[in-house]
Amino acid sequence: MKKIIQKMSTGLTDASLQQTALAHYAARRYKEASDAFKDLLKQPNNAEYKRYLADCYLQRAKAMAGKALFKEACVLWENYTAHGEAPLQARDSYVLWLLASKNSRKAYAALKDFDARQLDEDYPDLAACLSVLLVTGASELLPQLPPDSAVAKHWHTVRDALEAYRNGERERCNAALKNLPFRSPFRDLRTLLKLQWLDVGALEHGSAMASKIPATSPYRPLADACLAYWQTGADFIAAMAGLDLNQRRIIGQARGLSAKHLNLLETLVKQKTPLTDKMRFELALNHRDLFGTDAAQAYCLQYLVDHPGGHKEYLKCFPAKNSFEDNRLQALLANQSKNSYDAVFFWHRCIDSLQTDRPANDKKIALILRHMAERQPYREAADSLIDSLEYDPNDKQSHLKLLRIYEDHLPNLANYEHWLERSLERFPTDTDLLVRAAQSAARRKSFKKAAAYAKTLLKIDPVNTLAKQLLFSNHMAHARRLLKTGKFHLVEKEIQAAQQLSLDKNQLGQADLLRGFYLWQAEDKKQGVQHIVDKLTKLNADPVAMQFQAQIEAGLLGVPTTALTRALPAFKDYLLSAPELERLMTLIDGYDRQLDDRTLLMKALDKIKAPLKKSVEWLLDHEALLQKWCETLATAGHFELLKHSAKLANRKWWKPVWLYYQRLAECQGDARNLNFMDLFGLQQALQNARNANDKTAVMLLTRLIEQARMAQHPLPSMAFDSDESDQNNDDVLEDLFGQIPDRVFERIAIRARHILEKTDPNQFAARIIRQYADRIDPQRLERLFASEDALFAMVLFISAGELKIDTGIRFEDIIERFENDSPQSRFPFN
Amino acid sequence: MNLPYQILGVTEQATDTDIKNAYLQAVKDHPPDRDSQRFRQIQQAFEAIKDEDSRLRHALFDFPDITFDALLDSAFARDGSLQPMPADDFLKLLNTLSIEQTLATLNKTPS
Repeated sequence: MKKIIQKMSTGLTDASLQQTALAHYAARRYKEASDAFKDLLKQPNNAEYKRYLADCYLQRAKAMAGKALFKEACVLWENYTAHGEAPLQARDSYVLWLLASKNSRKAYAALKDFDARQLDEDYPDLAACLSVLLVTGASELLPQLPPDSAVAKHWHTVRDALEAYRNGERERCNAALKNLPFRSPFRDLRTLLKLQWLDVGALEHGSAMASKIPATSPYRPLADACLAYWQTGADFIAAMAGLDLNQRRIIGQARGLSAKHLNLLETLVKQKTPLTDKMRFELALNHRDLFGTDAAQAYCLQYLVDHPGGHKEYLKCFPAKNSFEDNRLQALLANQSKNSYDAVFFWHRCIDSLQTDRPANDKKIALILRHMAERQPYREAADSLIDSLEYDPNDKQSHLKLLRIYEDHLPNLANYEHWLERSLERFPTDTDLLVRAAQSAARRKSFKKAAAYAKTLLKIDPVNTLAKQLLFSNHMAHARRLLKTGKFHLVEKEIQAAQQLSLDKNQLGQADLLRGFYLWQAEDKKQGVQHIVDKLTKLNADPVAMQFQAQIEAGLLGVPTTALTRALPAFKDYLLSAPELERLMTLIDGYDRQLDDRTLLMKALDKIKAPLKKSVEWLLDHEALLQKWCETLATAGHFELLKHSAKLANRKWWKPVWLYYQRLAECQGDARNLNFMDLFGLQQALQNARNANDKTAVMLLTRLIEQARMAQHPLPSMAFDSDESDQNNDDVLEDLFGQIPDRVFERIAIRARHILEKTDPNQFAARIIRQYADRIDPQRLERLFASEDALFAMVLFISAGELKIDTGIRFEDIIERFENDSPQSRFPFN
Repeated sequence: MNLPYQILGVTEQATDTDIKNAYLQAVKDHPPDRDSQRFRQIQQAFEAIKDEDSRLRHALFDFPDITFDALLDSAFARDGSLQPMPADDFLKLLNTLSIEQTLATLNKTPS
């Protein structure tokens, strides 16, 4: 009975021990597994357990070798052989471990077990490692190798090659290397040796060859060292970081690096974490002689922009030469950190320093003032430019900049004229200035003066189209004035002068047209009208363009158009073809360039707007043409026609550019008139244009939205458009809708946009007031909707409802939020 | 800072003609199809110092734009053109090869 129990207990223990052993083995806990298998093997011999135990020893040996504990690895491998079955694994590793643990006697004994075929075919990596030993001087190894193995046979050839290389015998070395077979254990050494003989020009190719030496090759460290030698700069540092100290020293010596270089190199190589800005700054300061003083100073200067605390250290290494230099440095740093106040202050101190040596420093002072002007608001910039001209009056660009400021940015006719006159005195033959002078004179109706400037311009540049155009306009304007004042005898001379300018057919025709008016006014009205009609028929292919030109020309002379309209073909029901509309655009553009005042242009367009509107409907498929048409109308400023065209086009194509033109027309070209809803729609359109990569639309929309911003109308911020920054508006909408996840809110916002695009805000408000009339007093709601934020919040609320998204916000919440918090007082558009 | 002068290899006393000649030579040596970045550097350097006005502007306002890698490039540039490694040094490197190094580098045993 006792025996039976003992047997059962042993059986149970064995089963549990086996389980434990296998679990350890599976979990790669080979030490524990081998102990367990050793216990199991105390019982009757089990071949399976023995195999497991052998594998545990082998794996442990490899693990020891991985930790560079080669002696231990060897012992474990020997244990493995006691239990393992043939063929034994890692025989080559055992030899290498023995060699690594300096147990040459045992290693050579182990090598005896390898025959030549095994070494060449089964263990090529061992052969390559043995080749390294031979190359590095282990000559006692040679007798231990199978004499007919490749490593033993090729060694003599390699030894010759190395000797030739040492003696600088290139041909002998190459000849020896050629004798090495392709698959020699020395093949990677051959590659590296060949590289040493390459011409300078082929070294780039050589470095590519060295890179191809496999990572498993024992010659790889030598290849890495060669590659590092060929690198420069940061790549050199990175390559050197992969080498050991001894190799780095040899490379440093080969490259002729100084002790200081090596010191810097070691600092960089030993740096385990990426260098911080401060570390780099300090390295640049401390090793400035290696980096080059100027380059190091430049680098440190950049650092100071973001880290002004380093200024003291900087000055210790790069002391300012004088107060001017010190102030200049401070000014530049202030410029870099966009601190314009400090920059101006330090630049003025620089100027003070420079003023001690005038006129030698005048140019510098002028340049500083111009540099300041580039970063100043227009008013201060104008002052700086004017000051700069005191020191250096011959800078044409400054004159032109000043004129641009007084023309475009700070419109001031008196200042403009004053500086134009001064500029012309200084640069009497400058074409830019002459064009400006001619235009300015024409604007003042000083036609003679304008013509004189244009003539001077043509003398300098006989093919200058702008000058010809100016001169033509001036002659024509002068002829019209003569007609109006009854000086008929002088009119023909002006017309002829205009026609002699060899301009295009249209302008020649325009001048001829004036003759008709001359006939009408000075001689015979009937004959004159007929002449005009003939000319208009010749100049234009369609009655709409004829009527347009007749209106403009008659308007310019102040003569009634009834007779002309009667005499010209009927135009009101005429539908323009695509080419006819294109020609009309050219005509409009031409007059727009010629006329200072657009009133006449508007009147003429008003006269023909009926056929134009019909024609646009007719030409709705010509998208590109209509876009051009809208551009012409936008430039000319006829917003009624623009709105009509853009609305039709937008309905058909639903593209951002059409929304742009529609909104531009609705605000009469003045971004200040854009309301909250418009801007919301424009922002969405801009996003869509970006998505569709419609660059024109992006440019136009961005400009319009920017103009609205510049007009200091705070743009209401949308949650999905982080560019906007109206904090108050954010607060209100954030309070209400802030808890909604961004992705959900985007869906709601897109729906809101659709609602706003389809429905007029007033209509939308009326709809809501009707819908909720039973819950809230309509007048109360109407008052509330005077706030665009409240209306927008309501649009979002309705959008969420339509999408069946439960936002947790009730209709009453919106009313309460806007009534109780009196948000109207914070509204941007109130 | 005289980096444009260094890039073009001229002194600060160089005349407009010297600078232009140096620029043309540099462009010839470093055409854009070979090294577009270097070509851009050369162009920028020329723009910065091409005439007296530019040089004065450069001296007064040019705020350097130099990376740490550029510093390393100048500190660890090759002296002259690329030269093969001296034989002695190559042989010294060859002698640094060892079984331990190979075993450690590979961190695995050949089989």
